[in-house]
Amino acid sequence: MERSLSRILLIILSLSLILPLLMILMWSVTVSWPFPEIFPRELGLRGLRTIFQPGSRALDSLITSIRISVFVTILTLAITIPGGKALGLYEFPGKGFIKIIVLAPLIVSPVAIGMGIHGTFIRLGLTNTELGVILIHIVPVIPYGIRIFTNIFELVGDQLEEQGKVLGAGSFQTFMHITLPTIMPGIISAGSMIFIISFSQYFLTFLIGGGSVQTFPLLMVPYIQSGDRMMAASYSLVFIVVALLALLGIEKMLRLYYSKNSGIAGVFYTKNSD
Amino acid sequence: MFQLKKSSIKPYIYLLPVMSILIFVFTLGLGISILQSLGYHPGIGLYEVTLDYYREVFQSAGFFSGLIFSLRVSMISTVIAAVIGVSLAYLLVMQKKDYRGLQALLKLPIIVPHLVAAFLIFTLFSQSGMIARLGVLLGIIEESRDFPALIFDSQGIGIILAYVWKGTPFIFLIVYQVLRSIEQDMVEAARNLGARGSDVFFWIFLPLSLPSVFSTFIILFAFSFGSYEIPFLLGPTTPRALPVLAYIEYTNPDWTNRPYAMAMNMVLAGISVMLVWLYHWVFKRYQHHRKGR
Repeated sequence: MERSLSRILLIILSLSLILPLLMILMWSVTVSWPFPEIFPRELGLRGLRTIFQPGSRALDSLITSIRISVFVTILTLAITIPGGKALGLYEFPGKGFIKIIVLAPLIVSPVAIGMGIHGTFIRLGLTNTELGVILIHIVPVIPYGIRIFTNIFELVGDQLEEQGKVLGAGSFQTFMHITLPTIMPGIISAGSMIFIISFSQYFLTFLIGGGSVQTFPLLMVPYIQSGDRMMAASYSLVFIVVALLALLGIEKMLRLYYSKNSGIAGVFYTKNSD
Repeated sequence: MFQLKKSSIKPYIYLLPVMSILIFVFTLGLGISILQSLGYHPGIGLYEVTLDYYREVFQSAGFFSGLIFSLRVSMISTVIAAVIGVSLAYLLVMQKKDYRGLQALLKLPIIVPHLVAAFLIFTLFSQSGMIARLGVLLGIIEESRDFPALIFDSQGIGIILAYVWKGTPFIFLIVYQVLRSIEQDMVEAARNLGARGSDVFFWIFLPLSLPSVFSTFIILFAFSFGSYEIPFLLGPTTPRALPVLAYIEYTNPDWTNRPYAMAMNMVLAGISVMLVWLYHWVFKRYQHHRKGR
C-alpha cells in the first residue's frame, strides 16, 4: 500500500517535470495553434526549415556556438586538470585561499564579474571578438573542472605515475599513457558539463561579444521575447538535440580512447577496488 | 590512502594557468567593480573615493524593492526545488526497481538552458498558455483574460516556476546519489526494529543527505539570485530583479551613472559571499553537533 502510493507520487512528480518538454516538440512543428485549442490546428515544418535553410543566420550562429564551446571545453580542461592535480595531491602554503578563489565563480554573480571586466576587455580589444567571449566563458566553468579533477586526483593518487617514471617514461609519455586514461571518467563528466554551460551562455556572450559574436542563444532570445512560439520552440528543439548529440559524442569519443588504453587503467581500478 | 605531498614549487606551477585566467578576469573584474562602486573611475574623470553611491543606491526605492524581490524569488524557488527534489530522490530510492528510463528523462531539464526554461514556462502559464487552454476546456475559465497573470507579474511567479523546473532535477540527482550510497543494512536494521517509512526518512536519509542538500541549496540560491536571463525574460517592469536593474543602470548613456551599477553589483556579490560564509559556519556547527552525539 505504502509502496504503490509512493510509486504513484514518484510518477506524477517526474511527469510534471518532463511533460512540459513536449510543448517544445509540439510548437516546433506547429504553424497555427489559436487559443483556446488544445491541439495544433495546422502542422508544418516552417520554423525548423527557417533554421536549416542553407546559409541562414541560425546555421551560422549554431556553428559559431559549437566552435566557441569546443574551445572553452578544451581550454578549461587544459587548465583545470593540472589545477585539480595540485589541489588533490599536494599540501602547500596558500592552499586554502586558492581553493576559495577557484570555487568563487560558482557563487559570485556573472553579472557583477562581466560588468567589472568589460572596461578592461574594451581597452585590450577583446570585446566583440570570439577570443573575448571564450575567455569570459571559461570563468564560470572553472569551479566544475577544479572540483571534479581535485576529487579524482585525491582518489587515484600518483603512485602509478611515479612507477612509470621509475621505469623510464618521460613526462609526456607518463601523461598520455598513465594520467590521461586514469582520469578519463572525470574528463568525460567535466567536459560535458563545461560544454553545456558554455553552449547555454547568454548574458556574458551578449555583454562581451557586443552583438558581433552571434551565438545560437543570442538569436533565440528575440523570438522568446516577442512570444513567437513557433520560432522559439524550433530554436529550443535544435538547441537540445545538438546539446544531446554533443554529450553523446564526447562520451563515445573518449570511451573509445579509454578502451584502447584500458590496459593500464584497468589494472589500476581493479587494484584500487579491493 | 596516501599522504599529501609537500613540494615547494610544483603545485604552484600546476596552478599557474588556471590562476592566471582567474586573476585576470575574475579578481581584476571584481577589484575594478569595487573601485568604481567607490567612485574611483579615472577613465571618466572620477577620482574621489566615497561611499555616497552606496548610500544613494540604498535610498532609491527601485533598488530596495528589487533587492527584496530577488531575495524572495530565489529563496522561494530554491526551497520548493529542494523539497520536491529530495522527495523525488527518496521516493525513487524506496522503489524495488531503479527506473533507469525515468532517471535519464529527469536529467533532461539540466541540459536545457535557462532561456528555454523561460520559454517553456511562458507556453505553459501565460494567459494564452496550455494551462489556460485546459482551464477553458474544463469550463473553469471562459477566456484568456480570466486566467491569472502569472508571467511578468509583480510577485515573480513565472520566474519562480522557471527556477523550480531547472533546480529540482539538479537537487534530485545529487541527493539520489547520496541516498543510494547509504548502506541498505542500516535501513533494514531500522525496519527490523520497527521503524516506519517516515522514521527511516527523518532519522536516516535526511541527516545523511543534509550536507549535500545544503551545499546544493546554496549553489542554486546564489545562481538564481545573481543571474540575468530568467528575470529579464519573465520578470515584471516593477520591481526589477537586481541583476536586471544593475544592467539597466550600466547601459545608461550617462557614464557618471556607472558607479551606481557597480554598487548594485557589489551588493549582489556581497550577499552571495555572505551566504557561502553562512554555509561554512552552519556546516561546521552541524558536524560538531553530530560528532557530539
